[in-house]
Amino acid sequence: MNRVRVVEPDQRIPEVPEAIFLFRSCTGSMEYPGTENAIKEILKLLGIEVVMDPDQTCCSGYLLTCSGYLPEFSLGVTARNMSIIEKSGLPPYVFCNGCYGYLSELTHIMEHNPAYKDMANGLIGSLGYHYKGGNNIFHVQELYYRLKDEIAGKVVRPLNGLRVGCHYGCHYLANQYGILDDGGYPAFHEELIEALGGTPVFYKERQMCCGYSVGRGFTHKEELVQPHLYKKFKSAREAGVELITTVCPGCNVALDREQPALAKKGYEFDIPVIDMGQLIALALGVPVEKLGFGANTVSVDKVLKKLGVGKGD
Amino acid sequence: MALDSCTNYSLQEEIQRNCDVNLDTCYECGKCSGGCSNGHIFDFTPRKIIQLIKLGQENTLLHMDALWICVACNICWDRCPSSINIPRIMDYLREKAHQQGITATRPQVETFHRLMLDSIYKRGRVAEVPMMIQYNLAIGNLFNESGMAARMLLKGKLRPVLTSVKQIQTVRQMFNNPKKKEG
Amino acid sequence: MQNTAKTALVIGAGPAGIEAALKIGQAGYSVILIEKEKQIGGMVGKLCSSFPRWENPQEMLDLKTRELGKFLSNITLLTNTTLKFCEPVEKGYLVILEDSDKELNVKVDAVVLATGFDLFDASVYGEYGYGIYPGVMDALEFENQLKDWSAHKSQTEAPGAIAFFKCVGSRDRSKGNPYCSKICCMYTAKQAGLVKELFPETKCYVFYMDYRSAGKGYEEFVRSVIEEKHVHYIRGRASKVLPQNNRLLVRAEDTLMGIPIEVEVDKVVLATGVIPRKETARLVEAFGINTDQYGFIESEFGSPAKAGKRVFFAGGCNFAIELPGAQYQGAAAAAEVINLFYQDEQEER
Repeated sequence: MNRVRVVEPDQRIPEVPEAIFLFRSCTGSMEYPGTENAIKEILKLLGIEVVMDPDQTCCSGYLLTCSGYLPEFSLGVTARNMSIIEKSGLPPYVFCNGCYGYLSELTHIMEHNPAYKDMANGLIGSLGYHYKGGNNIFHVQELYYRLKDEIAGKVVRPLNGLRVGCHYGCHYLANQYGILDDGGYPAFHEELIEALGGTPVFYKERQMCCGYSVGRGFTHKEELVQPHLYKKFKSAREAGVELITTVCPGCNVALDREQPALAKKGYEFDIPVIDMGQLIALALGVPVEKLGFGANTVSVDKVLKKLGVGKGD
Repeated sequence: MALDSCTNYSLQEEIQRNCDVNLDTCYECGKCSGGCSNGHIFDFTPRKIIQLIKLGQENTLLHMDALWICVACNICWDRCPSSINIPRIMDYLREKAHQQGITATRPQVETFHRLMLDSIYKRGRVAEVPMMIQYNLAIGNLFNESGMAARMLLKGKLRPVLTSVKQIQTVRQMFNNPKKKEG
Repeated sequence: MQNTAKTALVIGAGPAGIEAALKIGQAGYSVILIEKEKQIGGMVGKLCSSFPRWENPQEMLDLKTRELGKFLSNITLLTNTTLKFCEPVEKGYLVILEDSDKELNVKVDAVVLATGFDLFDASVYGEYGYGIYPGVMDALEFENQLKDWSAHKSQTEAPGAIAFFKCVGSRDRSKGNPYCSKICCMYTAKQAGLVKELFPETKCYVFYMDYRSAGKGYEEFVRSVIEEKHVHYIRGRASKVLPQNNRLLVRAEDTLMGIPIEVEVDKVVLATGVIPRKETARLVEAFGINTDQYGFIESEFGSPAKAGKRVFFAGGCNFAIELPGAQYQGAAAAAEVINLFYQDEQEER
């Protein structure tokens, strides 16, 4: 019970990797392809090679597990993805909290229950995959924080005091296995914002869940998610937040794409929501057209203008 | 409710065995419920759910509305002073409800998951457009999210062309191979 | 005529140490009482009031100081002094005591450890915002605030509402402290009662899992705080503190009704649990005695005040304890020392 939950960044990632395996997120790469691109650009600037494998599948995530319909399926899918990761021999990095929490938990289950691991390997063995073991999954937000000083040193478009509210999401901080900051009051995203020259805003409902997980975003939009998000946006608006960052494409979808529905009910917020990687990439001078802001429902133009970035920069 | 005739603690033992938890370590403090993201609309808050398990109220648990509005945010687990893995217990209860054929109190949830799994079975991936159309038909609201669909179509974000993964047979094998968990 | 050459070293001049020193000195033996702070009294000096009789801790301390003053001939009080070194010798220890400018080498025939307890650091509970929001403080800090309010009541604007969280750092396996710190239920009731005494209009909320009042007059004390002073007790461990409207919002579940609740307050007081002091760890190693897995001193089998060869203990260094308990333990340790010295003298005859 006494496992150390919060670790220092250089304990979490003792040596900065030269190359990483980037685990694609289905929601991320489909809804906001700019996120994936931003990560690649940032890591290029930091001198880290990014390896991907099109053979991977969606992690299947909480959407599948929490449906309770085929729990064994989730283990098989996870084992298959892990075996692809193991083949690359590189540390796996995800860019979605859902992938992070989910892969961490399922690999943990298989590590501690050899019967489940054997079953999963039995399912995928005939296809030529084998999951050896190991459950060290990283999230790119951890790499950003680990390399905070390097990133700060490479900023060419400082954020000019832009008031940024960070949204951490749930599935990274609630992980029990060694994370960068306390789930009770995390502050490492805000440190990154400061390093980029922005003004971090600790708005009251900063740690509120986005409400989308497990498919609730599809099945219970009006009833559950919208009133929930209204509370969150209201507190962000009252604190003067101009931009919200996320580290989970699921959260990004929730926070970004629900705003028109709220506006139709008379609650206009107009707060753009982008991935932390996209913000860092902007600050590091990556050309705007590579960051895919066209995919955002709430326009990012206001923020781009404030940063002095034209459409063609 | 006569305590000694309503439970012999077998449900508690079953959950403890399958979810790797020890419910006797629960302090009944309510910190889980206080932090629950949707606790204010749950019919039974997380602490009450633990207590229901201890009282062997399987029927109540499997018909709970909370199962279908929990968002698996994990805050309950994070705050619990005994680190009881409540999300795992919720998953287990959902599995059990499904295995016993109990339909979700919110039928859209059931429909959604079924359609998603069907799509994976047919094509090895979730094809969003056909799935959303089927979902809208099932819930009786064809124009659900049509505003968003239109915007996405205009931005070129909807792919009407459908493809399957190459090794679809291998995906289907996983559906046929489940080893049922011990009850 | 007692042999006054026998000397006991008492480390720590809190209530337990003072009591031990007094009883050993009153029996005619020599005592060196050392205290690392510049004033004596330990926790007692920091308190604004006491349970269950609402007595003035400063008056109790003054009484003890006067008694010590009557025995200056054989009780030597050294403040700002710590133990630098010790070595076991025949029938005792050779110790070096040091303060800011000098050292004292002396042979002592018995040692009483009375180093007291410390309070758990509540900053590990990020969800409570200790160290982040200025309105969130621990029990000792609030005790100080109460002293300040008592002294300047007429110039103080009454706070609108105060919330007290119990079991912060106690009964929490996830933070490594599964034990109950015994005194927090009582001191929280005392603090809430004091607030109502000073500012009857201030709303006080105590968020509890249980309330433990096992002592003479204790249950009546807590009930009087609830029933006569009208402090609101809410069953539910507080889950989160958030800033709202320049105040603090507390979220918890009212477990008796089973509904999540929230309330806006001006201050949050964390009833932090009790942990051993770092100084105790050093002394325990120096004297080679046993502790439990938390670092609290363990007694030897059958001897509730004995920790090792010619080493005894009293008070908070053994576990959480309230004021009368510390005094009982001090007297018990003193009785052991007196008996030991008497045996030594018999052997030497």
